[in-house]
Amino acid sequence: MGELAAQKHVQFILSVEKKKDSLEAVAMEHPRMNGEYWYLTTLDLLGKLQAVDVDEVVSWVLQCQHDSGGFGGNIGHDPYVQYTLSAVQVLVLFNKIDVLDADKVASYVATLQNEDGSFSGDGFSYIAISVEKAVNYTVSCKNHDGGFGCTPGGESHAGQSIDKDLLGWWLCERQVNSGDILNKAKVKPGGLNGHPEKLCDIWYSWWVLSSLVMIDRVHWIGKERLVKFVLDCQDIENGGISDRPDDVVDVYHTYFGVAGLSLLQYPGVKAIDPILCFTR
Amino acid sequence: MNEEELRRSEASMADLLNQFERILESDPQIDEVGFLHPSQFSELNKEVGHSSPSFDDSTVLRSADGNSVFWNRDHKLGISTQVLFPLYEAAKHAFMAASRQYKALNSKSDVSGDENSLYVSLSLDNSFESDVMKHSGALLLLSSDLGTAWHSRKLVVSQKHKLSDFLDELLLSALVLSYSPKSEYAWSHRQWVIKSIAGKCSTLSEIVTKDSELVEKIAERSKMNYRAWNHRCWLVTYMTREQLLYELKRSRNWASLHVADHSCFHYRSRLMLKILEEQCYKQEISSSGYNVETYQLWKEELDWDEMLIKRYIGREALWLHRRFLSLFWIKHFITDHSGVSSHGKQNNSMNNDFRIFMDNELHLLDSCSIIPDNSFDDYQAQAKHSATYILWLIKQIPDSRRIEFQEKLKTENLKALLNKACPERSSTWDSLVSYVEASGH
Repeated sequence: MGELAAQKHVQFILSVEKKKDSLEAVAMEHPRMNGEYWYLTTLDLLGKLQAVDVDEVVSWVLQCQHDSGGFGGNIGHDPYVQYTLSAVQVLVLFNKIDVLDADKVASYVATLQNEDGSFSGDGFSYIAISVEKAVNYTVSCKNHDGGFGCTPGGESHAGQSIDKDLLGWWLCERQVNSGDILNKAKVKPGGLNGHPEKLCDIWYSWWVLSSLVMIDRVHWIGKERLVKFVLDCQDIENGGISDRPDDVVDVYHTYFGVAGLSLLQYPGVKAIDPILCFTR
Repeated sequence: MNEEELRRSEASMADLLNQFERILESDPQIDEVGFLHPSQFSELNKEVGHSSPSFDDSTVLRSADGNSVFWNRDHKLGISTQVLFPLYEAAKHAFMAASRQYKALNSKSDVSGDENSLYVSLSLDNSFESDVMKHSGALLLLSSDLGTAWHSRKLVVSQKHKLSDFLDELLLSALVLSYSPKSEYAWSHRQWVIKSIAGKCSTLSEIVTKDSELVEKIAERSKMNYRAWNHRCWLVTYMTREQLLYELKRSRNWASLHVADHSCFHYRSRLMLKILEEQCYKQEISSSGYNVETYQLWKEELDWDEMLIKRYIGREALWLHRRFLSLFWIKHFITDHSGVSSHGKQNNSMNNDFRIFMDNELHLLDSCSIIPDNSFDDYQAQAKHSATYILWLIKQIPDSRRIEFQEKLKTENLKALLNKACPERSSTWDSLVSYVEASGH
């Protein structure tokens, strides 16, 4: 089994971050807040967060905030709950949460809640709750103010009502074997897929794996085989990680690959919290 | 870049956008958009029968410096990848400006009571409104998931309350899906339209049928498109019973040609559940009792799935569909859940139905768990799927039945089979088997 080419990956993501006028940039512009968060988290996981100009990032993040309190994916874009989460996470990452009016952000998130307790915006309850948790967490860290916990909906945490075993069953069946998929030439065993009969993918490996960790069922899959799969997806020479071995690398798969290794407790990568997605 | 150059490049970007929007306006029936590498222009021309390289009519549109930029013929539109970025920048610029002006004017006309200024602002409003629609439309054909552009269209359309405007949104969304079939925003825009016109539109059921056909068309080109199928599942709520039965019949052929596409089987399960749900609801009102039609529907699906399992070896989607079918078969058709278990005759026939069903499933396991020597991976996968299926069944059947069933089949045999079929995943098999065993006591 190879090793993680951490230094190469850092160089790769730093170089991509600088290219902003390419074709890729068209697709990457509107979700940039989310990209920014993953980019910084990956650097943090690899212990290289100091390579970033903090003031520049923080000032850009604040320019994305609206009067409503929510954040857009980039300057001039409408606010959206997903990017609001990313913005809060980025500020927490730099320990700069004090620049934020937390009540305002919370009131934005609260306006998105429906009467039945669910949230508007395509099943993003997880995100909304996480925003509250993140805000909660950071605000309480800052001024020890417990007043935030009563934001509506925070108590209906998803983790408590689900049948962990049945969910674990479905999730662990996502680990792919050579005979599992119609398109055999492309099957690389050990990775996880997100949907029956699909090819395994670093991206899904992260989501399935983090869910398994959250419900305490990660031992239901073969961890060593998954580590090998992630390492096989690396471009050893030029850095970066691809969706599956021998494909072209990109930044998102690099982020999720490194984050996956973190959950698998790979040496040299900081530990990440599977719910809040912060380094611990 | 000096100031003169900057001005010139800005002007040429605006020209490019104008050209693009003129094409969209002059050919409102465009039904497909794609991006072309510059080298593909001449190939396309050859395809439509123009061998001369100097060929240049209304099909190819060139920029001021002579490069081929757009290709438009038979309601298909190609855009050169070379101009994609500047065109996107220009469209974004124009859209953001129009959207700002539109919003500013809207908030101003709210407070202004003067009739004269209201008139002026209304006509201004109309022009900003059409600018917002024009530029956001162009922009979304270049970048499909720009939420801000979709939002502003919703805002304009919902303020006008015109059915034809809503229907135009379905066209734009379909056009975006032609180049970006997995666009989450384009799919959810359709749901917004349908929700907005439901109850106000006499042709809703036609629209729903057409949307279902659109999903099928897109699924044919874009394999395992979760978003598309998710949209089709969502449409189920708006279907009449006749439509449900029709869709079930129609998707059957597609499913048997795409046995590895789990989404289509999931769609069938949504249709079947809706039919069952409506049946249960009706039964409560009329208490007509047992429904032969729905029973028959389930039975046919189980038989059909078994036939596919035996024909296409090792397909996970077929086995997962069977888990769904069995669960509801036991729950609704052969388990006595109404508390009349003491009525001997009915109870006996249910016991009998249950035994027949289980015998059949065990028989299926037997025939699927044989791994021939020098076999392909498919047979190993088939054995694995059959064993996890039975394991899952043991977990799902009611406690009272489980004892009888466990005698016929021991979990350790299933574990041995799993380890033989797929030894590298022994940690998973250990976990699953001990979970099933633990819940049996």
